[in-house]
Amino acid sequence: MQPDPSRERPDHNIAMWGAPGSGKTTLLAALFIALTKRDDDWKIIGSDPASSDYLIEKTNALLRGKLFPEASMALERYHWTLIGPAVRKPGFWGRKAKPGPPARIGIGMIDAPGGLFGTGRRPAGGPSAPDGSGDPRRQELLDNLEQSRGIVFLYDPIREFTFGDAFDHMHAPLTRLAERMLAAGEFADGKLPHHIAVCVTKFDDPRVLETAERRRLLSVDIDDPYRLPRVTSEDARELFHELCQVSASGNADMVLKSLDQFFHPDRIRFFATSSIGFYVDRRTKRFDWDDFQNMVPGEADEDSRIRGRLHPINVVEPMLWLGQRLAAIRPATGVS
Amino acid sequence: MPEPDRDLNRKAIAQALADLADTDRLTLVEVAADGVVTFLLHRDDNGRPHGRSWSATWPDLAGERGWDARTREAVLRTARASSSSADVILVAASSADPRAEQALAWLRAAHPAAQVLRTEAPIAALIREVIADDPLTRSYELVVVLADSAAGRPRLTSRQLFPLGSRPGARTRVALRCEAAGAHGTAFAVVTWQGPKPRLLSVQSAPVAPGRYEVTAELVRPGRVRFTGLPALSPDPRDWDQLVAALPDRPAGGAGPTHLVCAVEVCGADDQVAERLSRARQMISSASGGLGDLLRVSLLAYAAHSYDLSAPEFPVRVAAWETGAGEALNALGALEEQGAVARGYPYHPHAAQLEDMLAVVVERLGRADPTPAVILTVGGRPPHPARTDQSRILPCPHRHDWRKLITALGQRQSTVLGAICDQPADQAHQAWHRIGAAALAHLEAVDVRGLAADLGLVAPSPVHFPFPLLDETE
Ligand SMILES: Nc1nc2c(ncn2[C@@H]2O[C@H](COP(=O)(O)OP(=O)(O)O)[C@@H](O)[C@H]2O)c(=O)[nH]1
Ligand SMILES: [Mg+2]
Repeated sequence: MQPDPSRERPDHNIAMWGAPGSGKTTLLAALFIALTKRDDDWKIIGSDPASSDYLIEKTNALLRGKLFPEASMALERYHWTLIGPAVRKPGFWGRKAKPGPPARIGIGMIDAPGGLFGTGRRPAGGPSAPDGSGDPRRQELLDNLEQSRGIVFLYDPIREFTFGDAFDHMHAPLTRLAERMLAAGEFADGKLPHHIAVCVTKFDDPRVLETAERRRLLSVDIDDPYRLPRVTSEDARELFHELCQVSASGNADMVLKSLDQFFHPDRIRFFATSSIGFYVDRRTKRFDWDDFQNMVPGEADEDSRIRGRLHPINVVEPMLWLGQRLAAIRPATGVS
Repeated sequence: MPEPDRDLNRKAIAQALADLADTDRLTLVEVAADGVVTFLLHRDDNGRPHGRSWSATWPDLAGERGWDARTREAVLRTARASSSSADVILVAASSADPRAEQALAWLRAAHPAAQVLRTEAPIAALIREVIADDPLTRSYELVVVLADSAAGRPRLTSRQLFPLGSRPGARTRVALRCEAAGAHGTAFAVVTWQGPKPRLLSVQSAPVAPGRYEVTAELVRPGRVRFTGLPALSPDPRDWDQLVAALPDRPAGGAGPTHLVCAVEVCGADDQVAERLSRARQMISSASGGLGDLLRVSLLAYAAHSYDLSAPEFPVRVAAWETGAGEALNALGALEEQGAVARGYPYHPHAAQLEDMLAVVVERLGRADPTPAVILTVGGRPPHPARTDQSRILPCPHRHDWRKLITALGQRQSTVLGAICDQPADQAHQAWHRIGAAALAHLEAVDVRGLAADLGLVAPSPVHFPFPLLDETE
């Protein structure tokens, strides 16, 4: 072990989990940018040189080339550490609090390809056992989830309009995870011990924003100079529910049911997230309902590009919520 | 000499005529000094009153047998009114002739409900006066062509000349436009409406030079309308069906000066752009062959919007405006040499500045210029929406609204919209169906001459308008 805090074993782990294309890579790059812009002490650091390089590369792509970061096939190999400010532990008998070591939260990222656990309707080039058992990635996903106490689940409403496979992707892994947790005696209150941040991604897409607008779920922070519309965490659950209504398969509301089944209500929080945010005109510096898309589509063989500056929305918030929740729990011990 | 009876009689007959329903008959039987005169009045399909009369002298009625019982039957027969009819008016000329007294008595007995009028002078002149002064029981309308829509077959409609109740002497003014009308000339047809079908009242025609006319129509008498402000008209032998059949199935243009506006999308693949430009070239040449010096040509090129301020886009270019065909073809040559522009980021890959091009055309054409215009757009991409919508195509940076602009062009008189689209009609974006409202052709399969004919740029046979057009410029 080296003294470098990022190389130390983190106190907790967060598993970032979502279907391919749900926006994980973009979210991670946007997280790095958003944390850099903030005044508080949170930062994100690669747990090894390869992971750092990956983060830098993706972030540069997003910032300079304004290209969406390219998908990676072997994401599971990379790990990052979210390092918080030093924790102040209250002293005995009202003595002054002393700064303790900073909170360290490991972040791992997992693609959840169709066919891995689901019905196999969308083969992802993996082995063809009907339920994907025997796929080493299945083990990896479960190990990762088991070792984490925080989950960032990315729900891509655009994918759900088109494929409607979110339920396929999440139900089986959760069932297996519950099995393992039960066996390990970690199913104390009848729920998984995990906290889960459900991020409805691509909030900047007109179809998503308009759904929120129709349901009157939008609000604006009074001190946001750009007046970007947002959905508060309290309302994000309703947005999620509403978006589930237009799912292509019609069983997206089962996603909500299964979340409630496996997670304690105090440990679920919804976020309406956009990694790239809305386009804001350089001159007016105001959100414009007539022109807010921050993405320019590419020619047939090219990727989409980002049009203006990035204005990540609810990218840091899910991490900090999980970070704060996990920091309040005794660091996991004895998992080796 | 004052004739109080005459006025009373006129009123009585006018009232009976006014009460006359379409299918009924009004009979007036005049018993005069020398015999019996019968008048039969009815209305025709146009509600116009007509009268017929016949007469029988006393010798006719009595024959050689002398004045006997059979004379009574003869008197009733010449009156020809059915015995029960209420629509009988008896007119007694003052005469001391006992035969007249006898005949009147027989008629009164046969028609107990009939009104009896007394007259000094023969009643025929009075009846003619009443008929000539009969107020209209149907509105009289002039048949005109509606050819203002950008697309499709010109339609017929009618414009009211004289409303119900109008009396002879009434006048009305109409602003009309006449187009080339063919061998029979322009027909001024007056119709009345009863139900959904018009009934032809009169048609008069004359060879009228194309142009605007201030025409005054005067109601001379029921069924007769006189037009002034036109060359002398003469009766037209054609019936309604023949007139309607003479209506062209395509819009105006071709016959007179025409302004062809070609707008070409010059972004995308090089060979695609070259193909579009070559279609525009063929179209200009084709129209120039058909119209010669009457053709004015404008040429515009447009590409894609840029969404990066540091990469200024190519704005819509007006390569030629209202020039002769030769000059426009030279400008087209320069575009061909230049080839495709605006490829790759930051230019939008799925839409083009179609809406900016429309804005330029709308502004440049103006509303005042009456020259017929044909706007031919050659391209493939849809326009940018005015604001973010479900299409997710980024909105036009200038917020031009293509729908409103096309509507504005459609409302401009004699403006025809045609398009040649990269995609076949069933795959073309909905905007192309509006931008090619009169004719939408597929780039790979277009028959340029046929399209030119559809747009009125070359007429396979001259387009004729058998009726005048309403001039709505005022
Ligand atoms: N509109 C919008 N699209 C996004 C956003 N993030 C990602 N995407 C789109 O989703 C695609 C896949 O994102 P990516 O981060 O590679 O997903 P991953 O496969 O889960 O890592 C990108 O190429 C973008 O087109 C976002 O915040 N807004
Ligand atoms: Mg990715």
